[in-house]
Amino acid sequence: MKKMFKVVKREYLERVKKKSFLIGTILGPALMAVLIFAPMLFMKYTPETRTRIAVIDMTGAGIFGRLQAALTDTLADGTPKYELRKVDVAGGDLAGTKNELNYEIESDVLEGYIVLPEDVIEKGEANFYGKRLGNIKTMERFESALDNTVIGIRLEIEGIDDASVEKLTKGLKVEVIQVKEGKEETGKGFDSMFMSSFMFVMMLYMTILMWGIAVQRSIIEEKNNRVIEVMLSSLRPIDLLAGKILGVGAVGLTQYLIWAVFGVVLALYGMSMGGPVAEVAASLSIGTMAFFVAYYLLGFLFYATLFAGIGSVCNTDQEAQQLQQPIVLCLVFTILVPMMIIQNPDSMFATVISLIPFFTPIVMFMRINILTPPVWQIVLSFLIMIGSIYAAALLSAKIFRIGILMYGKRPDLREMIKWMRRA
Amino acid sequence: MLSIEKVTKRYDGHTAVDDLSLVIEPGGVFGLLGPNGAGKTTIIRMVMNIIEPDEGRISIFGEPLSEKMKEKVGYLPEERGMYRKMKVLEHLVFLGEIKGISSSVAHERSRKWLEKVGLSEWRDKTVESLSKGMQQKIQFISTVLHEPQLVILDEPFSGLDPINTEMLKDIITDMKDAGKTVVLSTHMMDQVEKLCGRICLINKGKKILEGGLSDIKMKMSKNVVSIRFSGDRRHLETWPEVEKVVDFGQDLSITLKGGADPNGILRHALDNGRVERFEIGEMSLHDIFIAKVKEKGGEIDEEDVQGR
Repeated sequence: MKKMFKVVKREYLERVKKKSFLIGTILGPALMAVLIFAPMLFMKYTPETRTRIAVIDMTGAGIFGRLQAALTDTLADGTPKYELRKVDVAGGDLAGTKNELNYEIESDVLEGYIVLPEDVIEKGEANFYGKRLGNIKTMERFESALDNTVIGIRLEIEGIDDASVEKLTKGLKVEVIQVKEGKEETGKGFDSMFMSSFMFVMMLYMTILMWGIAVQRSIIEEKNNRVIEVMLSSLRPIDLLAGKILGVGAVGLTQYLIWAVFGVVLALYGMSMGGPVAEVAASLSIGTMAFFVAYYLLGFLFYATLFAGIGSVCNTDQEAQQLQQPIVLCLVFTILVPMMIIQNPDSMFATVISLIPFFTPIVMFMRINILTPPVWQIVLSFLIMIGSIYAAALLSAKIFRIGILMYGKRPDLREMIKWMRRA
Repeated sequence: MLSIEKVTKRYDGHTAVDDLSLVIEPGGVFGLLGPNGAGKTTIIRMVMNIIEPDEGRISIFGEPLSEKMKEKVGYLPEERGMYRKMKVLEHLVFLGEIKGISSSVAHERSRKWLEKVGLSEWRDKTVESLSKGMQQKIQFISTVLHEPQLVILDEPFSGLDPINTEMLKDIITDMKDAGKTVVLSTHMMDQVEKLCGRICLINKGKKILEGGLSDIKMKMSKNVVSIRFSGDRRHLETWPEVEKVVDFGQDLSITLKGGADPNGILRHALDNGRVERFEIGEMSLHDIFIAKVKEKGGEIDEEDVQGR
């Protein structure tokens, strides 16, 4: 044990003292912040522009007029946001009219046009033509205004008067308030929650992968510079393996600590600033952080142990890259599922995925962050991870013991299985 | 000190060490000699508990192998390696610490050693900035820093420059004088002849010969003498104990019959002429090795045996 901690200390100091560690630690989150916040800020501060839409109304029910009356939104400078233009089909030649409008779209005179066929009131179907699908919110607003107009006309046909129409078609606005740990958390939309979850998932993914591979590389490096035999003449292979993994893992924790300090400073600053940064900052809690660190440790130990096993049978990084691919793919998979998980964090799929050791650290953390799963599932995920780490360590230690003294030809899978059985 | 009993180690398809037994007594320098691929490194790795024998037992200091015992042994592997990014002093202290000595003791001894080999001003430089010869010195120091009772050196002279070779020989002699046990493993047999008290010759995983170096040499060598003689050489050729005389021009090489005393022919030569040079021919270890392997009907890969 004592010797193992000497190895931990050496591995830790060697990495932390490097300039690249400091640079990576500071640049990493800065880059991530830019990636996450830049589009948000960009969207928020991109000035809205006037949207020019032509309407071909073939119903004669006065839809155009009502639509114009409904779309009274204005831009920041007070001018109307929607500029609607009624277009008549000249001489019943719809194709010809459309051609002209298409040309206008091409020459940017028009954003788009909608064709309302004669039976639009009954069938409720119309086509919108446009070059760019454009701003989603702008389109949504246009669609709902049109929708309301058509419904209004239908109601009138049924003999309901104007005033009642407005009353009857009045929409319902739902404000989403998340209940977490029995408490209502107002002012925290699902958007920002998703953002913060995704940010943490990316951080987990990056750190587990980065430091896991670091263990693998360091084993290959020691094999290559032949220092490994000196080490083995002083301590047990398992001490060397464990010392390396724990030492590198501690580097990851240090990195988190630095980030946490930065994060607190940024959060305090961000809250005073308002906007999306503040929303993300407000969504952090001690509980989230604790789970984050716990799942980092579990995930790192599991993956690093597997990477260590791979490193011990390879002579070069290139060789290792081939072997590590299936494991890296498992890790990549976990960052592809959040979209599915976030829609339905309690589904069978999410539950099963979050209890498979390769995916547990990231997926379970994601679920906890979105909608805390039953306690037994969290406890089970911990037990599964601890068991898997133990199993991975047993296998890797056996491969490590034999592999680190083998140079030259890489053993194939059959040989490796033989070692596992024998050792 | 070190006892190896009927140890066998097999790798896929071939037997690296075959039913080998060996006892090394405390004190002195023991030579573990044999060509490349004879199984020397495998034996040493088993002694260091880095790999396990398939059969047989190994004990050190009368106890079976254990992790604790690694602290009492110093090992210089054939494949030298160091952490290149570490500073020299840090590196030495680290290797001392994992051998079980305290940080302060490791610091103190490292400083002393660095001074002794003239590398004091390099102690805060990284290992990779040192020349190869300097790195070799650091590697020796790390082998003996924890002052082990037993030191095992695997091919210690390979790749050494002449200065470091001499330095290492001095260190080995110092350790021997201090009562420590040194095991030298090498394929350069004749280079270590003068260092070793006892030797064991190994070929293809099997022991060929073991014993005190002088005994072996005596047994193997005393029937050949070389003489520079001015007088009638027929006096020598007709001497009853002489089997064969080969004339090299200046010197004569005389093979005596089995059991003959070389002093007899010397006395006879002095009686019949003038002796300018007389030498009881010693077979080199290399020659002994080849003779013994042939005697046992074994094969030798001549390329792997480097005598001189």
